[in-house]
Amino acid sequence: MIYGAWICLLSPLAAAGLITLAGKRITRRGAGYLATLSCFVSFGGAIAAFISLLGRSSEQRSVVSTAWLWITGGSYRSGFEVLIDPLSVMMMLIVSGVGALIVLYSIGYMDGDKEERRYFAYMALFVFSMLLLVQGGNLLILLAGWGMVGLSSYLLIGFWHERPSAIAAAKKAFIMNALGDAAMALALFLLIQKAGSVEFGILGGEYTSTVANLVALGLLGGAVAKSAQLPLQTWLPDAMEGPTPVSALIHAATMVTAGVYLIVRTHAIFEQAPKVADLAAGLGAGTLLIAGLVALVQVDIKRVIAYSTMSQIGYMFLGVGLGAYANGMFHLMTHAFFKALLFMAAGIVIHSLTDEQDIRKMGGLRRLMPRTFIAFLIGAVALVGLPPFAGFFSKDSILAAAMDHGAYGYVLWVVGLAGTFLTGLYTFRLVFLVFWGEPSAFVHEHFHALKPDLSGMTMGVPVAVLAVLSVIGGWIQFAPLWHPVETWLQSVAEPVVTPTNWQEGISSALAVVLGLLGIYVAWALYAVKTFSVPRLAFAQRLLEHKFYFDELYDTLFYRPAVWMTKGLYRGVEDPLIAESSASLGHDTRDLGRFVARLQTGLLRTYVLAIASSAAVLAIVFITVK
Amino acid sequence: MTTLLILLPLAAALVIWVLPLNDISAGALALLAALVEVGLWIQLVVRYDFAQGGLQFSQQQSWFSDLHVSYHVGVYGFSVWLVGLTVVAMAAAIAYGFWVGRDRVRAYMGLMLFLTGAVVGVFTAQDLLLFYAFFEAMMIPLYVLVGVWGGPGRMGATLKFVLYTMAGSLLMLASIIVYGLSQNTFDLTEIGQSSSDWVFLGFVAAFAIKAPLFPLHGWLPDAYRESSPEVAAILSGVVSKAAAYGFLRIAIAKFPDPVQHYRVPILALAAIGLIYGSLLAFRAPDIRGVIAYSSLAQMGLITMGLFAVNDLGFDGAVLQMVNHGLVSTTLFLLAGMVERRTLTGELSRLGGMARGRPALATVLMTTGVIALAVPLSSAFAGEFLILAAVFRQGWGWSVVGAVAIVLAAAYILRLISALLHREVGPAVSDSALDLRPAELGVVVPLVACLLALSAWPAAITEHSFRHDRGQTDVTQGFK
Repeated sequence: MIYGAWICLLSPLAAAGLITLAGKRITRRGAGYLATLSCFVSFGGAIAAFISLLGRSSEQRSVVSTAWLWITGGSYRSGFEVLIDPLSVMMMLIVSGVGALIVLYSIGYMDGDKEERRYFAYMALFVFSMLLLVQGGNLLILLAGWGMVGLSSYLLIGFWHERPSAIAAAKKAFIMNALGDAAMALALFLLIQKAGSVEFGILGGEYTSTVANLVALGLLGGAVAKSAQLPLQTWLPDAMEGPTPVSALIHAATMVTAGVYLIVRTHAIFEQAPKVADLAAGLGAGTLLIAGLVALVQVDIKRVIAYSTMSQIGYMFLGVGLGAYANGMFHLMTHAFFKALLFMAAGIVIHSLTDEQDIRKMGGLRRLMPRTFIAFLIGAVALVGLPPFAGFFSKDSILAAAMDHGAYGYVLWVVGLAGTFLTGLYTFRLVFLVFWGEPSAFVHEHFHALKPDLSGMTMGVPVAVLAVLSVIGGWIQFAPLWHPVETWLQSVAEPVVTPTNWQEGISSALAVVLGLLGIYVAWALYAVKTFSVPRLAFAQRLLEHKFYFDELYDTLFYRPAVWMTKGLYRGVEDPLIAESSASLGHDTRDLGRFVARLQTGLLRTYVLAIASSAAVLAIVFITVK
Repeated sequence: MTTLLILLPLAAALVIWVLPLNDISAGALALLAALVEVGLWIQLVVRYDFAQGGLQFSQQQSWFSDLHVSYHVGVYGFSVWLVGLTVVAMAAAIAYGFWVGRDRVRAYMGLMLFLTGAVVGVFTAQDLLLFYAFFEAMMIPLYVLVGVWGGPGRMGATLKFVLYTMAGSLLMLASIIVYGLSQNTFDLTEIGQSSSDWVFLGFVAAFAIKAPLFPLHGWLPDAYRESSPEVAAILSGVVSKAAAYGFLRIAIAKFPDPVQHYRVPILALAAIGLIYGSLLAFRAPDIRGVIAYSSLAQMGLITMGLFAVNDLGFDGAVLQMVNHGLVSTTLFLLAGMVERRTLTGELSRLGGMARGRPALATVLMTTGVIALAVPLSSAFAGEFLILAAVFRQGWGWSVVGAVAIVLAAAYILRLISALLHREVGPAVSDSALDLRPAELGVVVPLVACLLALSAWPAAITEHSFRHDRGQTDVTQGFK
């Protein structure tokens, strides 16, 4: 089991290192195969760890393996250690499994790019970092993985680095995540101060409510930055500048859901800080609503999906914030399937249309690419959450959990239900605009079908696998009847809320009805065009500017920082420090000239000077003695 | 062993100055001596008994017996790492100077070797007057190296540099004399602790200028911009650490009471320097400006770690000294390599160098992300320990530090993308080659050291103080 976990962690790192060091000695295609192979090896390791955990009783399902002492300072010690328990194994399976499929897909998608080797090295580095995050045996290793996924995300968003927009998006993502990292680091400092350690075990200790609140707030800061929740959500849509498989892997299936994992992992401290946990749920609810609204007016196929990701993670935050840990993690898993599927199907669309992403230019692709259409449709239905697709099982139990949390829970429940309507609307707006109707002139001109050759197959097979998973992936757990996910995670995180079957039923029924209503409205607006899209200039502007968050942060932070730096140069550095040291030089030279004037060459002045100095010295010696 | 580490480069310097060697053999001899020095240091690491700790390989020879001044050298656990930083960075700098081909090679190489010996002397001297002698001996070659081999504004830069450091040195000399005479010994291992604020401040002034701490950094931008890249690398990577070492070995270890009195003002200056340097680095118009101001910031951070006066801070500061030394050396050498290809360091005229230059891009990116302390890097380990340490002095210091980490991300990413990304800059021609094998030979070992430290930062933090009780060691004055 321990070997499985370490192989799972290190095999992608080895691939990244090999590809980097090999340089041109490895072919571009070879780099792709190597990276894919390493991810499948990783998946194998995760399965091995899973099987051996299954063989243990539920009390013994938590093993820490320390490789070496990593950081020490005084009596403080942190090992480089991995933790193998039900939660981390679940994440390992998702990350390495979905990761392997997406890296395989990349072989076809990136075919012909000049810097494929760099791409696959980065992808393998990302998979390693993500596994480090989920396997980390203490908060410091978790933070290390946390930072490393931020780094690989930066590298991959900015992969096409000659595009200024890609580089700007990459930097924005990194810096917003650095803010989150800093918040987490502060929480860790507080823990070191209070408990002298950053092991997960100490989170369950007794803390004053201030300490618990502050630690939870710091961790929540990291979580909202990484998971693109309010108020640190603005980097995610820009991150769509990266290649599409990157969006599928990092910005849909794995990295952005890390915040959910973090809250579940550190739930002990959130349970001591119920206000912060409520805040997490509230931020999730706010994000799911705002992202759902903004998604309605986006015209870039990837950005629509990006907003839907934000919105779905909002559901997960809502769930885990209320203490429905297993439900949140279950939705994380099904979301990884259907969202990766949606991105990869969208990638095939984009590829077939010579890299066009504007949905206004698309249309009628249903007949031109029927298989992709079916895959996309499966993903869309799973996203909206219609039975028997995956999203139905996972999302509805989150909503049911909200009913078990008092009045506040009912508010969140209503927001969540409103979100299902929006999900149906924006998702099927996308489906109808892209696939319905007659092919547009642009499509006629630019469409070229994916070839069924090797590179086409590398893209087709993962999409097919994920399509199947998006259908059946949800059947693992059906809240009223069987709940293996909840049982599996029981030993790590006992749920705080337990909705009744009645609550499950009413939530599911309402969610499905509202989802269908959303689809119907989308059908009426965009497919048969019974109604025209209502024109509300103000609302439209508000949504197109994404509620003006970018503008707000620009005015609040970026401009003052630039202004302050300029001020420091003009007000402090140049006039005071540079100038003073320059004038120091001049003054010394002047002093030298002045002193040089003492060298008169006249014997009498020298004698006078010597005599008077001797007199002064004599007086000094006499008085001091 | 310790004496050999000091004398070998000095002897090699003499040989190069005296013998009428041609340029190639002078450079080769210097490089050979620098590499042998690295070999000697590896011997030192292997033979130093970390389990026991304390002063080892000490050698003592009476010098002025009536004043109790002696030639006394030796190494502590943490000095092992600082000596290591010195010899590794100097070897890289000498190799780079040799590859670039400086004028008057014999004089140049001799000075570089002399500098090596002097810095090793600073880190190993166990007598105050000897420490002072090495501290000054370290400055002399630097004055010449900046003033003769520097850029067009080198004279102004040298003048500022000399004035600032001389002022500090004189204060330190006065402090040393008063302190030594009052305690009737100059031996650092025997001298008792003092509670004199003035003597303490004399030392602090010298080290604060050398580090530098805000607002005593007036000499820094010019010196780092005008000197040749390898000298700038040594100045910011190695020589600044002599100041941090001085804080630890003398100011904090010998003056416990004054440290208590002045801790908050010093922490405040360090914190201001950290933020100030990071902000200025974000707007600096050229590569060297960014690295120079980031150096100011990092020295502020290291000083914060030291003046937190606890175990975490000492371990973190020693680790961060080595990290920053390696990072800064690598960045300045890379800056030199870029400037040689483009004849400019102005960021607005650079860009797009990643395409077709994978080695340059990989090395610069790796060093850059370590410099911005991405978690899992050795710099992260150092900064984490330092900020966890100052948290005990008040959470506000750590918040300032955390803000600075975000700013560091901003200025390093700006530097990286201004060099490597976006469209190709006007100063970058297609004939600007990727890094040559010799250049890779200079920087890759430095990056390899950083990666090794990232995997195992405890290599330094576990092996710096006796039984890893830095605070006890320091408060007892390394008795």
